[in-house]
Amino acid sequence: MKERPLCNNAVVNLTDRTVDFVEPPEEVLRSFIGGRGLNMHYLYKYLKPQCDPLSPDNVLILGNGILTGTMSPNSGRHNVTCKSPESGIIGDANIGGFLGPEMRFAGVDRLIILGKADRPVYLYVNDGKVEIRDASKYWGLTCSETEARLRYDLGSDVEVEMIGPAGENLVRYACTRYGPKNAAGRCGSGAVWGSKNLKAVVARGNQGLPLANPEGMLNKFNELKDYLKSSKVTQVLGRVGTPLLYDVSNYLGAIRTHNSQQTVFFDTMNAEEVHKYVNKMVGCYGCVVHCRHRNSVGGEGPEYTTEVLLGSNIGVADTRDMIELNNISNELGLDVSSLGTYLAWAVELYEKGYITDKDTGGPLRFGDFETMKKLIYDITYRKGFGDTLAEGSLLVDKYGKETADFLIAIKGLPQSDPHDVRYIKAFALGIATSSRGADHLRSRPTLEILDLPAELTRKVFGQPIDPNPTSYNTKAVVVTVTETILAVADCMGICKFITHCWNSPRNLNYDHFSQLTELATGLKFSKEDLIGVGRRVTDQERLINYQEKGIDRKDDTLPARYFDEPMPSARAKGSHIDREKFAGMLDEYYELHGWDKNGMLPQQRIDELNRLKNLS
Amino acid sequence: MIVKQKQVYCRPALCIGCRICANACAVAHGGTTNPRLGRINVRVNAFQRYEFQELCRHCEDAPCVDACMVGCLEKNEETGVVTNDDRCVGCWMCVMVCPFGGMKRDVLNNMAIKCDQCKDIEGGPVCVQACPTGALVFEEREDSVEEPFFTGPTVA
Repeated sequence: MKERPLCNNAVVNLTDRTVDFVEPPEEVLRSFIGGRGLNMHYLYKYLKPQCDPLSPDNVLILGNGILTGTMSPNSGRHNVTCKSPESGIIGDANIGGFLGPEMRFAGVDRLIILGKADRPVYLYVNDGKVEIRDASKYWGLTCSETEARLRYDLGSDVEVEMIGPAGENLVRYACTRYGPKNAAGRCGSGAVWGSKNLKAVVARGNQGLPLANPEGMLNKFNELKDYLKSSKVTQVLGRVGTPLLYDVSNYLGAIRTHNSQQTVFFDTMNAEEVHKYVNKMVGCYGCVVHCRHRNSVGGEGPEYTTEVLLGSNIGVADTRDMIELNNISNELGLDVSSLGTYLAWAVELYEKGYITDKDTGGPLRFGDFETMKKLIYDITYRKGFGDTLAEGSLLVDKYGKETADFLIAIKGLPQSDPHDVRYIKAFALGIATSSRGADHLRSRPTLEILDLPAELTRKVFGQPIDPNPTSYNTKAVVVTVTETILAVADCMGICKFITHCWNSPRNLNYDHFSQLTELATGLKFSKEDLIGVGRRVTDQERLINYQEKGIDRKDDTLPARYFDEPMPSARAKGSHIDREKFAGMLDEYYELHGWDKNGMLPQQRIDELNRLKNLS
Repeated sequence: MIVKQKQVYCRPALCIGCRICANACAVAHGGTTNPRLGRINVRVNAFQRYEFQELCRHCEDAPCVDACMVGCLEKNEETGVVTNDDRCVGCWMCVMVCPFGGMKRDVLNNMAIKCDQCKDIEGGPVCVQACPTGALVFEEREDSVEEPFFTGPTVA
C-alpha cells in the first residue's frame, strides 16, 4: 500500500462527477498547517471571485486539522468553509463530533467540493476513495431520520454529516450537522450543501492514522488529560456546560433580551434550571471536557447561545419551551444564533409598525412560544412569512432603511454571542473585526475580565493590560492575541474549550501545540511559526473578504444600537460604545496587524498569499 | 481450575462516548490511531442515546479458544488471560462465537484483534489509564455487578 500523505485532499467535482487527489506542497502546508488555514487557502484558490454563493461556482470545503483524529485531547474537530450565502463574505464554521477523524481514518483529510450535482447525492468516503452516490431517498428527511436511514443502509458503524430540510430549502442560515448536537452552525453552509444537491457526507475508515511517536503521544495525552481535568473551568464545563455563563451575564445586566432592547431576563435559564432537564453529559471524539447535554425533552443541548437566542432574545421564559425550540432547530438544521436574532428582529419590527399582519399573517409578540415554533417550521419549509424571513440579512432594508439598525448583525451575519457587548469593550472590538461577521468564536477576548494578577496577564498578552473591562485601552492587544491563538487552534483541529486564552489561561498554548504536532506528525513548529500561521490565516480571510465584498474599515463596526442606546439595567447600566474611542481601538488593532488606516493588507502580504495560491 | 483475575470493567453511566479508550489501545498496540483498531468496541449512538463498551471478559471457558481452527487463541492457565497471535487467518469464527462482542476485526490486515490486558505494558491496561472520566476500571470483582446506564445528570 502506498504510504499515506500527511495531507490528502480530495477535489470532488459534482458536475462532472470526478474525484482527484491533491497534496499541498510543503511550503503551503507549513504556512497554513491544516483545518481552517488550509481551507482558506483552497477557498482563495478555487472560488470564482464574486460568484453567487448558491451557484455551482461556490466551493464547499470540509477540512481536518493537522491533529484531528490523533491522540491529542479534544482533537475531533474540522472546519466547513465556503462563501457564505448569508453574508456574502467568507463562510466558515468549526464542528466537532466524529466525522472528521473518521474521514482521516478513511485516508482523506479534506474534501473540496465543486460544482453541482444534477440530482440529490451523498459522498461515501472509504479506504482512500470518495464515491458520489445517489441520495434521492434521503432527500427531505430530518437530521435524525437521515442518520438512521443511512446507518440502516450502510451499517451502524458509519459516521454521517448532513443537512436537514432547512439546507435543502436553501434557508440562508441553514447549518451543517453531525448527530443531534454538533453543527458547523454559522454562515449558512447548509444552504451551500443544498444548492449543490449534496445531502450528506458518509465516512467509514478502517485505516490507522500513523503517529510519528506513538508512545510519546500516549504519555503526552495522559499528562495533558490530568492537567486539563484539574482545571476548574474544565470541571464546571463538564458538569453543567456553557449555561454556567448565563447567570454571570444576567447579573451584570448584559443578556441580550427582546432584540437587545433590554438586558436582564428571568432566572429560568440559569444552569441549575437547565440541569433539571439533563440526563447525561456526553462528549465528542477524544474529549476530556464532555460539555454536551443530553436533555430529557428529546435532543441535545442547549448551549448558552441557544438559551439566550431562542430564550430571552425572543422572550421565551420557560426552560422546557426553550429546550424544545433548541431541539426543533437542531433537527431541522438551522443556525440558532442567526435564527434567534432574525425572529427577535421581526418581532421588534412588528411592534414598531414597520411590518403588519399583512406581511406576517398574524401578530408577532415577544414570549409567544407557539407562534415562534410555527415560524421556525415555516422558515424551514419556506411557507408564508417564513419564506421571507428565510432570506435572513438580505432583507435588511426591505422594510425601510432604519430597520437595518435594529438588526444585531455585522457584515451581514447576526451576533452569535448572547452577551450584550456594550459593557465589555474588548468583546465589542472582537465581534466588530471578526472575519466572518458578528461572531464570538473568532476572538472572544474575555480573559481580562477575570481580574487576573498583572504578571499573569503580562505573560499571556506580552504587555500590561488594563484590567477594567469598560476601558478602551490596550484592548486591541487582547483581541489580536486571542484571535491569533484561536486561529491556530482551528488549524490544529483542537476544541477551543481547551485552548489557552479561552476562559482560562491554564489551557493548551503554543508550546503544547508544537509538542503535539511534533509527536503526531514529526513536523516542527516553533511558537513564532505558529503565531505567524495564525496571523497569515487572519490576513487570508481579510483578503478574501475584500475580494468578495470590498470589506474594509466601514464594515468593522457595530450595530447602531450598541453605539447610541445605553444599557438599561443592573450593573452595566448606562454602558454604551463611544464612537470616537471605538475608532481609536480600531486604529490600534489595524496597526497591530500591520494593516493601513482603512484596514487593508500591505501589498507585500497580498503578494505572498497570491504566490502561495499559485504554488499548490 | 478457575483463576481469580483482575478484569477491565465498563461503567456505562460514566462513559461519554469519546472513544479515547479504544484509541489509546490502538496506539499502544499498533502505533496508529483509530478506535476501530482498538481492542475495545465502543458502542455509541447519540440519537438512540447510548454509549458503552464491549470488551473481552477472558472467560473461564472461552468460546473463542474452542472455535479457533488455527489454534492461535490461547488461555493462559496461570493468569487467565486469553491472547491471540499472528498466525490468525481472519476466518472470524471467534468473532462469531463471542457472546460479548469482545473480538474485533482488523479488516485491512485480515486479523482478529483482542484484548490482552496490556500484559506487557507497565502500569496496566492503557484504556483504563487514558479514560478521562473513570468509566473503565481494572479490578478484581467477587461477582459481576450490574452497572447502571444512568446515575444522574452528571458524570465525573
